[in-house]
Amino acid sequence: MKLKLLCLYSIILLIGVFCIGLMPAHAGKIRVVATLTDLADFASAVGGDLVEVHSLATGVEDTHGVPMKPSFVPIMNRADLMILVGMDCEHAFLPALLEASKNPRIQTGRSGYVDCSQGIIPREVPKTTGHSAGDVHPYGNPHYMLDPVSAKLAIENIYNALVAFAPQDKAQFKRNRDAYFTKLNAKISEWEKEMKPLKGVKFVSYHEHWPYFAARFGIEYFGTIELRPGIDPTARHIEELVASMKAQHVPIVVREPQFPERVPKRIAEQTGATMITLPIMPGGVPDTETYIKMMDYIVHTMVTAVQSKK
Amino acid sequence: MKIMITIITLLFMLSLPAGAFAETLEDRVKTLEETLKKQEQTIEELRVLQETLKRQDQTIFEQRKLIEELKAEVKQVEPSVSAESSAANKSIETGQIQQQVQELKEQVGQVVEAQRKVLPSEFNPSIGLVGETIFSYRSKGSAQTGSDRPGGFDAFQRSVELNAAASVDPFAKAYVVANATADAHTGESTFNIEEAAIQTESLPWNLTVKAGRFFGEFGRLAYIHDHELPFVNRPLVLAQYIGGESRTDGVQVNWLLPIEHYVSLTVGAGNQFGGDAPPNNVGDFRQLGGWNYWGRLSTYFDLTPDISFEPGVSGLWNPKTLDRGGPLAQPDGSTLAERERRLVGADFALSWKPLRNNQFQSLTWGTEVLHSNNRYDVNSADSTMFNRSVGSLGLYSYLTYKFHRQWSAGFLYGFVEDAQDNKAKTYEYSPYITWALSHWDQLRLQYTYTNHNTASGLSPDHAVYVQWAWIIGSHSHGWQQR
Repeated sequence: MKLKLLCLYSIILLIGVFCIGLMPAHAGKIRVVATLTDLADFASAVGGDLVEVHSLATGVEDTHGVPMKPSFVPIMNRADLMILVGMDCEHAFLPALLEASKNPRIQTGRSGYVDCSQGIIPREVPKTTGHSAGDVHPYGNPHYMLDPVSAKLAIENIYNALVAFAPQDKAQFKRNRDAYFTKLNAKISEWEKEMKPLKGVKFVSYHEHWPYFAARFGIEYFGTIELRPGIDPTARHIEELVASMKAQHVPIVVREPQFPERVPKRIAEQTGATMITLPIMPGGVPDTETYIKMMDYIVHTMVTAVQSKK
Repeated sequence: MKIMITIITLLFMLSLPAGAFAETLEDRVKTLEETLKKQEQTIEELRVLQETLKRQDQTIFEQRKLIEELKAEVKQVEPSVSAESSAANKSIETGQIQQQVQELKEQVGQVVEAQRKVLPSEFNPSIGLVGETIFSYRSKGSAQTGSDRPGGFDAFQRSVELNAAASVDPFAKAYVVANATADAHTGESTFNIEEAAIQTESLPWNLTVKAGRFFGEFGRLAYIHDHELPFVNRPLVLAQYIGGESRTDGVQVNWLLPIEHYVSLTVGAGNQFGGDAPPNNVGDFRQLGGWNYWGRLSTYFDLTPDISFEPGVSGLWNPKTLDRGGPLAQPDGSTLAERERRLVGADFALSWKPLRNNQFQSLTWGTEVLHSNNRYDVNSADSTMFNRSVGSLGLYSYLTYKFHRQWSAGFLYGFVEDAQDNKAKTYEYSPYITWALSHWDQLRLQYTYTNHNTASGLSPDHAVYVQWAWIIGSHSHGWQQR
């Protein structure tokens, strides 16, 4: 009797799922799956009407903590292109999802696997990848997308992938890309001008997201609240950080929204610094749904915070 | 006559110079030819010289251009330079250029370093090692608890697990997990192959085939390695009905249904099922019925962006176990010989993992219910022989709350009816707390109270466990860890 009930339960479950999940007709667009929201934004900008873009992250997650949801699997199973940041940024979720997707087109090294870090000169390549250094990325710090000039290389890689997939649409992709570059270049000049008064200003952040951003805009990345990448701070580390921040007059503490507020807030209070919450990808905080809006928010918030201390 | 002589003389006189002229002409032709040759040579030399001059002109042009560019760059850096400070400014400009060159060199060096890390290990598989030690105190001895570990104070190196994985070719990957577990009585460790399997990567129709030795996909936790469980010990029902981890030698096919919704179907067949389960008594010829056949159907629902529900059903059937485990003595004096093994289960996981800070906070509720319905030949105490099926039920349910990146706590409840005698029941209650110092280093403290009913003949037991698990080398986030 119990066995029959179980079989009935299984059949009902299967029928229900089939009814919910029947695949709609293919719309003829290029199916693009991006790991993070900034890449999704770029893919939409370059692809325009010719692409259907899905982002695995929503923007609020830690880039290393995007969940491995089975609901991503059918989406990735049908994808034509898989766009990722690369440099091992997605090691916590992407390899298992790629295997579960059973899509040979988007596996590592295949034509549909679009690693946007191609051409990026890495910063902070670790001398050791032993676990004593924390959860380091062996190919260098992967958070290059926060430098808008490096982000242009990612856009170029996305453009090249779209053209390779659909060469007949090259002209349209080129138009879209050039239009976006024009807009982005104008914004880069604007941001550089806005950030110029902050040249040499020191700041700390929770995780080491900001070396490319700091290098681009001439601000000094003083350190991180984390003891090591992926390792929470010890009391001693916090004490040492506070002391060195006071000695060096570090005015800004950056808290990324996926980390708790308590420790960065305490450090800011003890050092007299200003704590600001900055997103690391579009959608991380409200009204930052696109890359440009996100960078506008980051630059404006940082400038305002520094100016308020003067 | 005279005229004739005059003419002849004249002719003679004329021919002499003609002869002389002829000689000179030949020479002159020769000379001219030689001169022509020389002139051609000279022309060739002049042509080569001309080309050399052209190249030199080009080099001079490029160098002039470079000088102009550098001059412009220098002017840009220091737009207003007074005559008195020009020398000092030039050295500053040089210094800045040198600094930029140095920075470029460092960046290129880092890229080269990154390449060096990859190239020497290009042909090595990913290799990692897991160590797991269990310190425990149990209030009763093994004879009273039925455990294979002694009562009292114990230190048990449960896992020394070496794992390696790599691509075989563009079509498949392979992995191996070898584990050395300390023997309960001798303390000696024997390296056993827990898993060694090849898995396809590019089959059509969303299929994956795995073959070799592996943990068959059954239920929620049966195919999870001991050190990856959310608590110290495997729930009672899995330990008894599966036989520890769902290890098998065989083949398994997984199909991802080609629909928008995630549905996964797995079927498999193989020798034995359960690492600690007794083997079938095969004899010298195994029929197809001597194999185990299993299957699992699972799906997934995002109830909200932060809350998910993942249900599944599983089944296992071994048509001819052929006296698996030998004669099974019962408390009532009878002896059982297992003839058929049947197991079905239903499971689910309900999780709350807020997207914004899932590394710091989450709540997971997991439950699995199993029904065992094995068939036995019974040799009763009075030597009567008959055949009977024993239907037994077991379940576990756990709740784990993560309240910090490093800390989580939970509770596990387990219940099992003995597969051979469903009147014998055992219950377990286990609160636990886990401190994950990092991805690779974890301590867990757990208390377990195990109680049995009278029919089991076993005694209640209080146990405290401290588990320390660590990983060195390669570490990947597998699909089971979602």
